[in-house]
Amino acid sequence: MPEFSPGLEGVVAAETAVSEVDGANGRLIYRGGYLIEDLAPIATFEESAYLLWNGRLPEAADLDALCRQMAAARGLKDAGRGSLVALDPATDAMDTLRTVVSAQGAAKTLTQPTLDEAIALTAVLPTIVAAAYRRSKGNDPIEPRDDLRHAANLLWMMEGKEASPDRVHWLDTYLVLLADHGLNASTFTARVIASTGSDLTSCIVGAIGALKGPAHGGATFAARTMLDKIGSVENVEPWMEKAHEEHRRFAGFGHRVYRTYDPRAKILRELAKTAAPDLHRLAARAEEVALKILHEAHPERPNATNVDFWASVVLTGVGIPKELFTCVFASSRVAGWTAHVLESLADLRIIRPASIWKGPQPGSKPLPIAQR
Amino acid sequence: MVAARTEISLVDGANGRLVYRGYVIADLAEDMSFEEVAHLLWYGRLPTRAELDALTLELAGSRTLTTSAMTALAAMPKDADPMDVLRSVVSVQGVEHRLEKPTIPLAIHATASFPTILAAYHRIQQGLEPVKTRADLAHAANYLYTLNGKESPPELVRALNTYLVLLADHGMNASTFTARVIASTDSDLVSCLVGAIGALKGPAHGGAPSAVIDQLDQIGTADNAERWLRDARRRKVKFMGFGHRVYRVYDPRARILKAMCERMNPKFYALASKVEEIALQILHEEHPERPQSTNVEFYSAGVLQAIGLPKQYFTPTFAVSRAAGWTAHVLEQVANNRIIRPQSEYIGPEPRKPVPLAERG
Repeated sequence: MPEFSPGLEGVVAAETAVSEVDGANGRLIYRGGYLIEDLAPIATFEESAYLLWNGRLPEAADLDALCRQMAAARGLKDAGRGSLVALDPATDAMDTLRTVVSAQGAAKTLTQPTLDEAIALTAVLPTIVAAAYRRSKGNDPIEPRDDLRHAANLLWMMEGKEASPDRVHWLDTYLVLLADHGLNASTFTARVIASTGSDLTSCIVGAIGALKGPAHGGATFAARTMLDKIGSVENVEPWMEKAHEEHRRFAGFGHRVYRTYDPRAKILRELAKTAAPDLHRLAARAEEVALKILHEAHPERPNATNVDFWASVVLTGVGIPKELFTCVFASSRVAGWTAHVLESLADLRIIRPASIWKGPQPGSKPLPIAQR
Repeated sequence: MVAARTEISLVDGANGRLVYRGYVIADLAEDMSFEEVAHLLWYGRLPTRAELDALTLELAGSRTLTTSAMTALAAMPKDADPMDVLRSVVSVQGVEHRLEKPTIPLAIHATASFPTILAAYHRIQQGLEPVKTRADLAHAANYLYTLNGKESPPELVRALNTYLVLLADHGMNASTFTARVIASTDSDLVSCLVGAIGALKGPAHGGAPSAVIDQLDQIGTADNAERWLRDARRRKVKFMGFGHRVYRVYDPRARILKAMCERMNPKFYALASKVEEIALQILHEEHPERPQSTNVEFYSAGVLQAIGLPKQYFTPTFAVSRAAGWTAHVLEQVANNRIIRPQSEYIGPEPRKPVPLAERG
């Protein structure tokens, strides 16, 4: 009997060239061998997505073509639009995203995932996110603009006016940083679904469902909620000490893989200084106190701030309401999900793990109902 | 790779046994209703009469779609794969539960909605009004009633019930595993089910029974079987309905379905049993070392056809059954949870510096 590792910790489930999380050294490597801290300052979300899909950074003409293709794929089809308006406007934005992506992808025949489909799916997510947001506020959705890039267009569709270049830049940087991250739970979900020969929409719909979990993509929301509850720099220490005494977990700390500071968190922490100076002060103090408390409690554990903590501050600076954090995360990670699915097609083998039986041994016959 | 500990079902491939909560499938298939088996999977034991009545009532009371779900259903393209419709409408039907922790009542609620969604879409596809569900009918009977707009003969209801019992769970298959991975992030039950439906859709998993029919149609007659199969093999065409990762002997579900198929669908059986014989012979000649056997999908196709289901509804009907197992596994996962986040092995280039856009090319 092979060994069982709860949560598959340390179990290798796939080979990948899309990204590598080098937890021991605190490095995130994107396809092609680029460290995230080298890539983020020079590449936009579209360039990063191109890299994840194609294995190389685009030249100017490649990038133009990709941006045009994405801009043309932003509209909703009838089924997508129909499912959107069927939902109560108060529906959780991730539920809306899961539903509309599913309906948008409803097709007569099953097709193998393609790069064109990956591009179209990536392009359409912000349209759904912004529409969910507008509807929740009692406003009509705003049509996408094909002259704007991924980040700028999302803010346009949310607000109906062009966002400042700074806000666009912060959002774009966030989207670059979150676009892929090894075999996390949602990416793994997408790869398991792909392994059955299913279609790309099914893979992405499953991944959205996994990302929705508070232990995964929902953590950014939780981090911001914690900062809201703390409220002020002065309240940081008493609040966190009380929380620790009550065995409540600090949101935004700890990671299965990193043993040092998450390189994405480092970049976002720096960005947060200009993107959200007030919240940055509060968050910096909260981080300091949290790490001190965690270190005192468990000096042996490598406790570090994770990406969700600082992402919540930067997204706040961008002007994204916290109810949309997980959806905006999805609008970035969809590039990675689709890249992983496309990669897995090259050597498709159904992922059907084993399980250990801990139920009763067969032998007893079921009793007829009258005798139970 | 071992992905979980479970006490829901055991696929004992070496001995050709499928065990639900300690009972071998052959002992459950003949006499149990789908409701009894769902109770077994969810609660870990067979229901008493009172418990069964309560569950039957609760399932029947949860069949109606929400207004949002009906509106979304009506907006689906009329020629879509019913699996895509199921995936989309299950997603809508559950939105009111938000991020509630999965529970048995939520499992019942979701399981009850699957047949309603499929039957309503089937009616819409034919230009007919969806039929109101009947609380006095059990799961299998009500499904056929809402599909066809009239009650089906008892032997067809019984056959569908047996199919639903046989397929309700099967260890850590890809769709069940998908549901558990999603559950492991503390996501909601609907997200788990929607992911599982997407996985079941794949031809390597639940998407093959209609392909069995297609292949048999191409073969046409028993006399043509040998020639067709040998020729197909030369063209590297895969035989549909054969082989399984886990079973090393005849799949116990396939055995039961084969007997049902012989009884219910003699025309299909005459061709299928001949094709089975020759296919197994050819596979054995090619790989004598491999244990080749007929899988559950091969004779499922004949049974579902005899029940009167259109072939696009074979895989969705598989989902109607497996919903019980998926939800049971989600409940087991959340009861003792740890996020499922495996490692990957990086096979890309070692770190190097990226070149800015202006300097590329």
